[in-house]
Amino acid sequence: MPAIKWCGMLVDFEVIKRARAGDSPAFNEIVLAYRKRILGTITRLIARQEDVEDVAQEVFLRLYFSLDQLRTAEVFEPWLYRLTVNAAYDYLRKQRRRQEYRMSDLSEQQVMMADAAAGGKVEHEEQQQKKVRESVDSLLGAVSEADRILLMLKEVEGLSLKELEKIYKVNENALKVRLFRARQRVLKAFGASGKREGTG
Amino acid sequence: MYPTHRSNDERLDALFRAYRASCPDRDAGANFMPELWKRIEARQTFTFSFRRMANAFVTAGLALTVVLGVYMAIPQRSPAYPVSYLQALADNNTLETPEIVGPVRLDLTDPGR
Repeated sequence: MPAIKWCGMLVDFEVIKRARAGDSPAFNEIVLAYRKRILGTITRLIARQEDVEDVAQEVFLRLYFSLDQLRTAEVFEPWLYRLTVNAAYDYLRKQRRRQEYRMSDLSEQQVMMADAAAGGKVEHEEQQQKKVRESVDSLLGAVSEADRILLMLKEVEGLSLKELEKIYKVNENALKVRLFRARQRVLKAFGASGKREGTG
Repeated sequence: MYPTHRSNDERLDALFRAYRASCPDRDAGANFMPELWKRIEARQTFTFSFRRMANAFVTAGLALTVVLGVYMAIPQRSPAYPVSYLQALADNNTLETPEIVGPVRLDLTDPGR
């Protein structure tokens, strides 16, 4: 499946200008244009369906109260993405439930996922998807919330290093190092769970 | 079981792809917009109340400063304290400690003469 790219403004900058001036219908227009995209990204970042709308509302709330800081149209989308990332990060930090993740459950989930990937007939697709989400959620417990989000943006959302650079406003090399380390940690956890499966 | 010929890297990529497929873009529920506006209005109300309270505190602080300034200025002009601190101290302690605050008298006459 091709990764989603955040390119192309979904609203005119005129609409943003009007929203910035306090025009509620203009702000509604922005929310309606971007909410599906934001909801999708948050769904993948936090992996908990029940809280997705709440976090998305927080993103648009922050957008509403910080619109006056926006200067040019070009920075709108990276900036909206940054708000999304920050809201997801705050949510994950509050949750901290990943400490309770059960690596013992991972093997079974991975087996089911691997079966699905191998083209095996899936009877309960919804259940499988849930298992995959839980599996990735558990694996990402091996890294910090910040690195989890960075890794998801790169590996799942498919953002390029240039795009990440705009969002995080840090050097590309620093991002590469962080991504490499985060991936290594996840790989280690992945390998360890595989070994447990082998011995278990 | 896992296909053993694949490396962990490849399997992790496959897991991420499966994850991506399991979380497609979705639209919000019917209450999304009303709830969002409720939160915006609640935040605005809070901000407004906070600003009002902050303004009230600043005004009260300024008024207190002015009052204290006037209060501190009045005693300096009062005729109740016409002399210097040392003089006032000496006046108040002449009976109790005359040797301390009394004027020093030097006897310059030679007692041998």
